[in-house]
Amino acid sequence: MHVKQDGSKYGVGISMPRRESYEKVSGSAVYTDDMVLPGMLYGAVLGSDYAHARIKSYDTKAAKALKGVKAVITAADFDMQRCGMLIKDEHPLARDKVRYIGEPVAAVAAIDMATANLAMQLIEIEYEELDAVFDAEEAMLENAPILHEERDSYDGIVASPGLHNVASYTRCQEGELDVWETCDVIVEGVYETPAQEHMYIEPCSTIADIDPMGKVTVWSSQQSVFIPRQLTAEALGIPMTKLRFITPQVGGAFGGKCGVTNQPVTVALALAANAPVKLTYTRSDDMIMNKSRHPSRIYMRTGADSSGKLIAREAKIYFNTGAYADEGPLIGSVATFFSRGPYKIKNMNVETWCVYTNRTKAGAFRGFGVPQATFAGESQIDELAEKLNMDPFDLRMKNMVATDDKWLGGQNIDHGTLPGCLKAVYEASNLRERPKQQKLDNNKWRGIGVSTSAHVSAVLSASAVVKLNEDGTITINTGAVDIGEGADTILSQMAAETLGLHPDDITYTCTDSDTSPYNYQTAGSRTTYVVGTSVTQASVQVRNQIYKHASEMLESAESDLEILPGSFVGVKGSPDARIPFSAVAGRALNQVGGPIVGMHSWLYHNTPFDKETAMIEGFALDGGGVFCFAAQVAVVDVDKDTGKVEVVEFWSAHDVGCAINPKSVEGQIFGGVVQGLGYALFEELVWIDGQISNPSMMDYKVPGMNDVPYDIHAIILETQEKTGPFGARGVGEIPLNGVAPAICNAIASATGARVRTIPATSERVLQEILKLE
Amino acid sequence: MNYVEPSSITELMNYVTTVEDYRCLAGGATLVAMMNVGLVEPELLISLHKLDELKGMRIDQNVIRIGAMTTHTAITDEDRLTGNASLVRSAAGQIAHSAVRNMGTIGGAISHADPSADFPAALTAANATIEVLGPSGRRVIQIDDFFVNYLETSLTEKEIVMAIMVPLSPADAIGHHLKFSRVDGDYATVSVSLALAMEGRICSYARIAVGSVAAVPLRLKEADDILIGSNLEESEIARASELLLKSSDPIDDVRGSSSYRKFLIPRLIRQAVLQSKKELSYT
Ligand SMILES: Cc1cc2nc3c(=O)[nH]c(=O)nc-3n(C[C@H](O)[C@H](O)[C@H](O)COP(=O)(O)OP(=O)(O)OC[C@H]3O[C@@H](n4cnc5c(N)ncnc54)[C@H](O)[C@@H]3O)c2cc1C
Repeated sequence: MHVKQDGSKYGVGISMPRRESYEKVSGSAVYTDDMVLPGMLYGAVLGSDYAHARIKSYDTKAAKALKGVKAVITAADFDMQRCGMLIKDEHPLARDKVRYIGEPVAAVAAIDMATANLAMQLIEIEYEELDAVFDAEEAMLENAPILHEERDSYDGIVASPGLHNVASYTRCQEGELDVWETCDVIVEGVYETPAQEHMYIEPCSTIADIDPMGKVTVWSSQQSVFIPRQLTAEALGIPMTKLRFITPQVGGAFGGKCGVTNQPVTVALALAANAPVKLTYTRSDDMIMNKSRHPSRIYMRTGADSSGKLIAREAKIYFNTGAYADEGPLIGSVATFFSRGPYKIKNMNVETWCVYTNRTKAGAFRGFGVPQATFAGESQIDELAEKLNMDPFDLRMKNMVATDDKWLGGQNIDHGTLPGCLKAVYEASNLRERPKQQKLDNNKWRGIGVSTSAHVSAVLSASAVVKLNEDGTITINTGAVDIGEGADTILSQMAAETLGLHPDDITYTCTDSDTSPYNYQTAGSRTTYVVGTSVTQASVQVRNQIYKHASEMLESAESDLEILPGSFVGVKGSPDARIPFSAVAGRALNQVGGPIVGMHSWLYHNTPFDKETAMIEGFALDGGGVFCFAAQVAVVDVDKDTGKVEVVEFWSAHDVGCAINPKSVEGQIFGGVVQGLGYALFEELVWIDGQISNPSMMDYKVPGMNDVPYDIHAIILETQEKTGPFGARGVGEIPLNGVAPAICNAIASATGARVRTIPATSERVLQEILKLE
Repeated sequence: MNYVEPSSITELMNYVTTVEDYRCLAGGATLVAMMNVGLVEPELLISLHKLDELKGMRIDQNVIRIGAMTTHTAITDEDRLTGNASLVRSAAGQIAHSAVRNMGTIGGAISHADPSADFPAALTAANATIEVLGPSGRRVIQIDDFFVNYLETSLTEKEIVMAIMVPLSPADAIGHHLKFSRVDGDYATVSVSLALAMEGRICSYARIAVGSVAAVPLRLKEADDILIGSNLEESEIARASELLLKSSDPIDDVRGSSSYRKFLIPRLIRQAVLQSKKELSYT
C-alpha cells in the first residue's frame, strides 16, 4: 500500500473501484454483440432434431437460393476436424452423426437475422434415427447404444479406458480396502447433483472478419484468446498466422466460455461468405448448444470409530458428460482429488467415470468437479455426526487437515488454513449459542448447517510484459481475460504496488492473440496467483531498470534510491535529489540502454502425487498445489407445509493469503455464495426424452434478489501464501463449493429430513419431510 | 407487419373490423416475447396506449373501474383498492418483478388468460366483471364466465377488454393473494386468492379461487358456502379445500409435479384462510 501526496491510499490491499466500472454501469462498455462492422452478416445455427442419428444427406439448395443468404455451411462443405481440449471428439458442426438434440448441424450467414432464420427452415437434413441413452450408468451397460464408435482412436491427452461409452476413468486408492469392519459407524448414501447452467448475462457471441490477405480477426466473448484460437485452428485446418483472437468486454462466463464455443462456426461462415459475420446465440440456443455443469450421481460410504475419527471412505462417482467430453476427464479427476474433502481419512478408494450420453455436453463451471464431491462428502460428515451423536462442527474440527498434513495423493499442505476458517465462522455466526432446531411461526422451522471445502489456485502457464512509456506511465500486457471477476484491476494494483505508482498511471491492453503474451485461460482460480506472479515479476524487472538508470543519473548507489509518490525516483533522505520516471524513459529510449521492458514467463509445477502411498489411475492432472480452504455456515427456515426453504443468513470464511482488493474478494464470495445457493435450491436443466424442457430464463430459475439473504457475511483471512504474489491465493471458485451441503445440512437440522438430491426444491424437501411423518 | 396507435374508440373499431389478422398491443410483456420466438406474427399491431378510456381508475357506486391499460405497478400503488378490492392490489404487487410490472397491464394479463398468472385467480376471488367492446357494442362479462380454457377467454373475435370492475364491498373484507413460486418473480406453482369477512367469530363472506391448478382459475361456490357462516375452524377449512382439491387438475411442469401441486392446494388454502382470519381478528 502507498500513500499519495493527497493522502489517498493505493496499491495492494486497497478496495479501489473496478477500472471498468464506469463503462459497465453507464452502459458504454462494448461487448461483442455491440459491435457492428461494415457489410456485416448475421449468423444462425441449426440444431439437430434428434438425440442420436446418422446424418444421411443434406439439402441446402433452397436455403442458399433465398435472397439475402450469403453462406450455408455444413460439415460436408468444410473439411472440419474433430477438436477438444482433452479428447478430440467434437466437430464444430456435426459430421456423420448427431449426438444430442440441438447439436449444431448447419449454419447460415445472411444480411439480417430474419433472413438467416428463414433460411434455416429451408435446410433439409435426412437422418437415420438411432437409439439414444441419457443416463450415465445406463450408458455404461453393454446393450446401450454407443455414441463414439471410434473413441479408442481419438487423439488427445486422455487415453480411452476401453469401457462402454466411458470418456475417461479415474481412480485413487490409499490405505487399505478392507477396513469397514473396524468402523463403529458407517453412513452410506446416493447423492445426485444437477446440470447447472452458467447463466452468464451475455450469451456466446462471436464476430469474424476477413482482411484482403485472408487473415481472420475474431472478437468473441471468451475466457482466453489462445485456447479458442488453437481449437479453431485445429477444427478448420487454418494456421494460427491466419487467426487473430481479441476479447472485448465479457458479460460473465463462469467456465461456460472455456475452450471454444461458437468461434469455429463463425470463422467458417465468414470464410464461406467472404464477409464479416456475427453469430450471437439466443438464450435458448446458448442453453441447448453450450455446456452446463456436469450432473453427477455419487455413491458414497464413510466410516468412523466411536470417537469420531474418520477411518475410511469409498466413492463411485458418475459424471454425465453428455455428447462430448470437453473438460470432463479433468473435472472427473478433480472430483476424485477432492472426494476426501479437507479431512484426514487414511483409507480411501474413489473411482470416477466420465460418461458419454445423448445430452448437451457438460464442461467447466466454477468449482470444476469440487461442488459435486463436496456435496456428497459434507452431507456424509453431518450424517455421521448424527449417528455418533456428535456435534457436526466438532466432528469437522477433529478430522480436518492442517499445515503439513497430506492431501489425498500425498501432496504436502503448506498452508493449512482450514482451522482458522472454521474458527472464524464459528465465532462470527455465534454457533455455540444457536439452537440446532427452532420452531418459528406457523409451521416454519429454523436450522443451521456447516460445511468446509477446499480448492487449488494454480495451474499451467502465463506470462506478462510490462513497459515503461515515454511519459513515465506503465502499460501492462497479459493474456488474462477479465471475465468480470476483476483481473484488470488487481493486476494493475500489483504493478502499481511494485512500481510505487497510482493505478491511474497504469494502462492495460485488451487480450489479443497477436500481441498478448501467452496465458492459459481465466479458469481454475488461477489468475491472481499465476498471472499475478508474472505481472509482479515483470514489474520488478522494470523497477530494477529504473533504479539502474536513476543511480547513474542521480549519481547514487541503487540501494540508496527509493520510489516516491507521483512517479519519481529519488535519493533517500534528500528530498531535492529526484527525477521523474519520464526522464528515465527518455534516457533509456534516446541515450542509454534502449526501451525499458519487463518480461516474465513461467509454468506452475504441480506437486506430483506420491506413488508410494497412493494408487493413482487415469488422472488428467499430475498433481495439485496451492491449496485454499473455506468454511461456511447457513441458517435456513423451512416451511414444513410446502417444503420451501429460505436461506436467512450465511457466513463464508476464506483464507486468501492476501486480499489484493478486499472489495473484489468480497464480490467473489457474495457471487459464489449466491450461485451456490441457486445450485442448492433452484437450478437444474431438466431433460424430457432427450430434450431440455426449460431452456429459457422463464423456466430455468436463478435466485432473485429476494431469494438471497440480506446478510451474507464474507470473512477474509490472510495467512500469507509463501509462493504467491504479495502472499495471495485465488478465491474465484471456492465460495461456491460448500454452499449446497451447508444448506442441506441446515435443512436436516431444521426438519430432520435429509435431502440427497439437489436442487433441494420445495417439492423434494417436502417429499423427505413426508417420509418422516 | 404494420403498427398503428389509434387515439379514439372509433378509430380502434375501424382497424379491428377491417383487418383480419391483428393483435392488440398492451404492455407487450407477453406479446412481444411471443413475437420474438415466432409464435405469433400478426399483420397489424394495434397499440392501445393512446386510448384514454382504457386508462386510470375511478370509483362509481362502490365499484372501482380499472382501465384495461392500467399497469401492475399502478395497481400496486393504488390505495383506493380497499375492502374486497384489496385482493387485486395484493396480487398485482406479486407479479413478476418491477420491470414487468411497469409494462404489463391488467387488460393484457386477463386477455392472455394464462391460468398460472396471478390476476385470473385474484379477479375471480374478487368477483370482478369485465367490460368489453366489440363491433356489436359493449357488454359485461362476469369473471366466472370469462376464462374458458387454457389461454382462452369468452371474448368473441374482435372484442376488446375495456375495463375491469371490482366491487369494494364487502368493505370489511380483506383480500389475500398467497402466491407460492419457486423463486421470487416466477409464475405461481400454486396461488390461492381469497376475500374474507367476519362478523364476530362467524365468517360472513368468503370467495376463494386457486390458480395454476387447472386450465382456468378454480372456484367452487360449494367450497365458499362451507366457510360462510362457519367459525373457520380447521375442519371447515379442510372440507372446503377438499372440494377444491377434488376439482383440480394440475399439470406436471418444471414448476412442480401435479401431485406436489395437489399437496399444496389444501396447505396453502389453510395458510391463506388462517392468515386472513388472524388479520381480521386484529381489525
Ligand atoms: C418475465 C415475465 C414474468 C412474468 N411473471 C408473471 C407473474 O409472475 N404473474 C403474472 O400474473 N404474470 C406474469 N407475467 C405476465 C405479465 O404480467 C403481463 O400481465 C402479461 O404479459 C400481459 O400483459 P401485457 O399488458 O404485457 O399484454 P400484452 O403482452 O401486450 O398482450 C397479451 C395478449 O393480450 C392481448 N391484449 C392485450 N390487451 C388487450 C385488451 N385490452 N383486450 C383484448 N386483448 C388484449 C394481446 O393482443 C396479446 O394477445 C410475466 C411476464 C413476463 C414477461
